[in-house]
Amino acid sequence: MNVFLTGGTGFLGRRVAKSLLERGAHVRCLVRPSSDVRSLQSFIGHDLWNGVELVTGDLTGVDACRRLIGHSDTVCHVAASLSGGTAVMFLNTVIPTRYLLAAASQAGVRRFVQISSLGVYEAANLLTGAQLDEQTPLDSHPELRDPYTYSKIVQEQVAWEYRAQTNLPLTIIRPGVIYGPGRGVLSNRVGLKLGPVLIKMGGSQTLPYTYVDNCAAAVSQACFAENVDGQAFNILDDGLPTGTQLLRKLRRAGQGVRALWVPRPMIGPLSSVYEWYSRWSQGQLPGVITRYRSDSMWKKLNYSNAKAKAQLGWRPHVTFDEAFDRSIAGGQA
Amino acid sequence: MNKPVPPPRLRMALIGCGQIADAHLQEAAKVDSVEVVAVCDMHMDLAKQAAARFRVPGIYDNLDRMLAEAKPDVVHITTPAHTHGPLTMKALAAGCHVYVEKPFTLDAIEAETVIAAAESAEKKLCIGHDQLFDPTWLDCRSRIAAGQIGHVRHIESTLGYPISGQFGAVVAGDPRHWVRQLPGGLFQNTISHPLYRILDLLPDLHPRVEARWDRTKYDFPTELWVQLRGAEITGSLTFSSSVYAQRVTRVYGDQGMLEVDFDAQTIRRHTAPKLPGAFGRLEMPFRQWREGARNLQRNLWRFLKCEIHYFSGMRNLMAEFYRSIQQDTEQPITNAEMLRVTRIMDEIFADCRSREERVEEFVPETRELEVVR
Repeated sequence: MNVFLTGGTGFLGRRVAKSLLERGAHVRCLVRPSSDVRSLQSFIGHDLWNGVELVTGDLTGVDACRRLIGHSDTVCHVAASLSGGTAVMFLNTVIPTRYLLAAASQAGVRRFVQISSLGVYEAANLLTGAQLDEQTPLDSHPELRDPYTYSKIVQEQVAWEYRAQTNLPLTIIRPGVIYGPGRGVLSNRVGLKLGPVLIKMGGSQTLPYTYVDNCAAAVSQACFAENVDGQAFNILDDGLPTGTQLLRKLRRAGQGVRALWVPRPMIGPLSSVYEWYSRWSQGQLPGVITRYRSDSMWKKLNYSNAKAKAQLGWRPHVTFDEAFDRSIAGGQA
Repeated sequence: MNKPVPPPRLRMALIGCGQIADAHLQEAAKVDSVEVVAVCDMHMDLAKQAAARFRVPGIYDNLDRMLAEAKPDVVHITTPAHTHGPLTMKALAAGCHVYVEKPFTLDAIEAETVIAAAESAEKKLCIGHDQLFDPTWLDCRSRIAAGQIGHVRHIESTLGYPISGQFGAVVAGDPRHWVRQLPGGLFQNTISHPLYRILDLLPDLHPRVEARWDRTKYDFPTELWVQLRGAEITGSLTFSSSVYAQRVTRVYGDQGMLEVDFDAQTIRRHTAPKLPGAFGRLEMPFRQWREGARNLQRNLWRFLKCEIHYFSGMRNLMAEFYRSIQQDTEQPITNAEMLRVTRIMDEIFADCRSREERVEEFVPETRELEVVR
């Protein structure tokens, strides 16, 4: 199998590359002129590096993407923007994806694997304690979400549109929060960082996390698995902790965080007050917290990874305890 | 008695839905005389996200169609710098007034063409020199007018612009990025703000310009030093990618100095001590403490009144520009000033290039010396 991989030098992408190579795939890895190729090479290791072909370029147009894909039979699109305003996110995530989808369609690839996000669902309208799985609809008001989630929802919509229009064989991977060495275990699912203090939101909600190696294995499996065209898979690990459990574990590991607790019943009303003030003050405080966003982010839900296990044959082999230890050893809480 | 009827709101359309477009759409919503009717971007996805977030009815990926269908009175141009000239001409030809983001055009020749077109069409232009209308700068101007620092003699502007920032990182990572293709490279897209803050107080049409740029670890110039010499007033501009992000201007007079920090929204006044010797060493920290307390009080009051906004200057400039259209009065920033700033920018980049060429000419001699050693 010849896989064209985007984002191959990144946190998840390099592990996807390694996983694909270990399974015997040839990986055509897109790098930017500024990419740290040596770091990728040392991560992949000498033995597997022969299976890597580096192509330098940018996803700046359909023709450019067509050249970059070359004779690859599979496209694995991991690259995405992680920071910036909505326009920047769209420019760096949605628009390159559009080009790449069109090029992959022209190239007649056997599969296009798109990395989306677990955040794409309309969680705000689910009842507390409800099950969130692949049957949950995508958010119908993506513009009300944070810039990253908004761009990921539209990116996924665009991919589905292309599949409908061109019969492009498409498989979507929706990972939860990806953590691991170098990125740490804290995320905004636990709470919001305000300088040195963490505003802990609730605490009893299960954190929809996936360890980066487990996630990479799922992405790699999506490139190989049979009969997964037109399917989306939630990727979450087993035995996930709650926010409170994670902070307790961090404290035991000597990485305690100063936290200010917002009890669950207060999250909604306080978010509404903040949203009102932000609007009333004409944006003196930015509208980063809204009722809709906090309902999407901090609701207590039951997450399911059953479909990925059943249809992809994927298992999260690294347990949470092992993943936690590796992440802590790798730096950053 | 009947209340006076306010003039009808002006129809605003925006082209270029990148990052700065958010600021225009956000501030336009706060100006009573503006009705945002359409957004346009060559990428429909970008136009759609802007329209969805700011509730704009018209969404276009074609400028001609937007001009024909949305029929705006004013077009805001927030596209990459090299497109400002042609797009402004197009909007003027469609009978629109134009608010264009900085830098105005690629060079002074293009600026003259655009201004001539605007004058011939009897349409108004506005350039995004919004920090001149920032409350802190307006306060600084009024304190200068009140004689707090005597006659202005020198203005010093510093822009700290870490390349590791969001936009800088993109520019650094892409040798073909449009910013790096501009005649003045990164600086053309960034020095307008610190430069026009100097020129606001340095009235000479042709000040003497000396400038030099330099590289750090990047393969394009990232440091810039400019000296401006007018008949009575001088100016200096420092752009550095190796210091922390900051936007500071110091105005030196013959009786004191005002330091304007745009990020902190503070103004600090420095003057020589009035008390002699060691007493002066006590007087000065006390005065500085008092200045700090005044700034805290001022910002606290502004916070309570919800007046602290990053783009306050843009809102004020926009309101002034739209008022000038409605009342057919003078533009808040004159065409002559837009041209003057553009000309001086041209001179800065030309001087930098000529110095760089001279340095490059010098390199072979150094190599010869190394060989001799």
